Amino acid sequence: MTVRQRLTLWYAAVLTVSLFIIGVGTYQEIDEQLRHAHRRAPEKHAISETSEMVFGVGLPAILLGLLGGWWLTRKAMAPVSQLTEAITRVHERNLREPLPRTHSGDEFDRLTEIFNAMLARLDDSFNRIREFTLHASHELKTPLTILCGEIETALRDESLTPAERDRYASQLDELRRLARIVDGLTLLAKADAGQVTLKLEPLRLDELVRDNFADTQILAEPNHIHVELAGCEEISLRGDRHRLRQLLLNLADNAVKYNQPQGRVAMKLHRVNGAAEFVIANTGPGIPPESLPRIFDRFYRGDPAHGTEVDGCGLGLSIVQWIVSAHNGTIQVESVPSQLTTVTVRLPLEYNQ
Amino acid sequence: MRVLVVEDEKKTASFVRKALQAEGFAVDVCHNGDDALAAARATPFDGIVLDIMLPGRDGLSVLRQLREHRNATPILLLSARGEVNERVEGLNAGADDYLPKPFELAELVARVRALTRRSGDNKSTVLRLADLTLDTVTHRAQRGGADIELTAREYRLLEFLMHSPGRLCGRMMILEKVWDYDFDPGTNLVDVYIKRLREKIDANFEPKLLHTVRGAGYVLKESP
Repeated sequence: MTVRQRLTLWYAAVLTVSLFIIGVGTYQEIDEQLRHAHRRAPEKHAISETSEMVFGVGLPAILLGLLGGWWLTRKAMAPVSQLTEAITRVHERNLREPLPRTHSGDEFDRLTEIFNAMLARLDDSFNRIREFTLHASHELKTPLTILCGEIETALRDESLTPAERDRYASQLDELRRLARIVDGLTLLAKADAGQVTLKLEPLRLDELVRDNFADTQILAEPNHIHVELAGCEEISLRGDRHRLRQLLLNLADNAVKYNQPQGRVAMKLHRVNGAAEFVIANTGPGIPPESLPRIFDRFYRGDPAHGTEVDGCGLGLSIVQWIVSAHNGTIQVESVPSQLTTVTVRLPLEYNQ
Repeated sequence: MRVLVVEDEKKTASFVRKALQAEGFAVDVCHNGDDALAAARATPFDGIVLDIMLPGRDGLSVLRQLREHRNATPILLLSARGEVNERVEGLNAGADDYLPKPFELAELVARVRALTRRSGDNKSTVLRLADLTLDTVTHRAQRGGADIELTAREYRLLEFLMHSPGRLCGRMMILEKVWDYDFDPGTNLVDVYIKRLREKIDANFEPKLLHTVRGAGYVLKESP
């Protein structure tokens, strides 16, 4: 039961009880007067007079009162409904926008004010986390540059034994992986802070997909994975060429990496209801249902027993998700373990800011 | 060849200097923007490696000042900021190349080489190394007189490598020039393509031309 319904019921109850009390009072008053005036058995008259009053005037008054009460509570509760609606729209990314205030100084306005203050504090801490990530990745880059550079310099030494050379080269590989993680983190931290602007230009998505298809075939060759392009409709849209290529390559790379020898990868680009839809499906172990909601999370690896042998920076899908949403698109992943994993990306043909 | 390295981080400046010296460059080092500007005006360098984040006057400002004064010395920008649009901004301001930190040293050296020999580029349309030839007009590749079938991407990769025979080419540089990727996709795309290319141009021939330098990149040359 909503607060409004409850208030209306209480109001009706109060009206009925007061009508009853007024009725009883009226009856006694009339009864008294009639006794004085006629000195005859007055009950009949008093009762009919009273019930006439109660039913003729009281009931319509109650009905009117109920209507009024319903209107009143509705009016009183309206700010709550508005507030509810406004709060529903609050999201991690629009904490900076305060809820609209009436400035009437009433309880609801006060509540809004306090809520806005809470949003501001939340925004503050979110910002601090973002800034921390951003600064941390910057700060990491300088020592990383030095480490990579010094190991590379050491590798140039002709007198190294093959074992030493191997050790340095393996350290360098890990450092480069670390560098890619830091790069990915920087990109995501900047995207979170709204500091990355897409370089939008008109482009042919089908050409990017064909290009990506050719690269995927090469990537898949060592594991004898069959790659097919099931369809590639000519589609033009406005987008950021580099980011969209990164998106396609990331998805293709995953489809090859999390596959099985002699497996399959199928991709398709077509138009669906004013959107470009890119679908890429691959065979392989798949993603267990409990992991599906979290695969876009940063550094999410799923079941620790799986996938540890596949290297990567752990940020690929987070970056993919960012690229898709920066283009106002949607991404969806479905997976039947041990059978098929399908990723569907939809990008609107018209980019609206 | 004389190169100016402008980098406030002393250790970075030191190994960059060593690496460039090892390649036969004469290297001057500055640690801040104002010194760099003064040095670049006083000495005609063949190239400048310029970090963007410097104390005082930053790299972009040095770059703009030099270009305003009609100083056309080739400039390679370095940056730890990793701004997506910084590369575009830098190139628009008149830089010749851009390398985000952390970079691969081999990559940096290869780029400085490319910068400093830009003017003396080989203008011939047929590239040649041992008995391998590549016609940049007809896109025809031959080794020992036999035609080699190449896909468009393989052709671009081979063309890129053949433009700088004997020089180390880093992975990032190949991704950028052959694939036009401005990000490190973290895949082994380059390695896989190199392997395919090697099968085509090297498998049935001697001497082997395409070599891998572990932890650094690839080089096309006659001697191992």
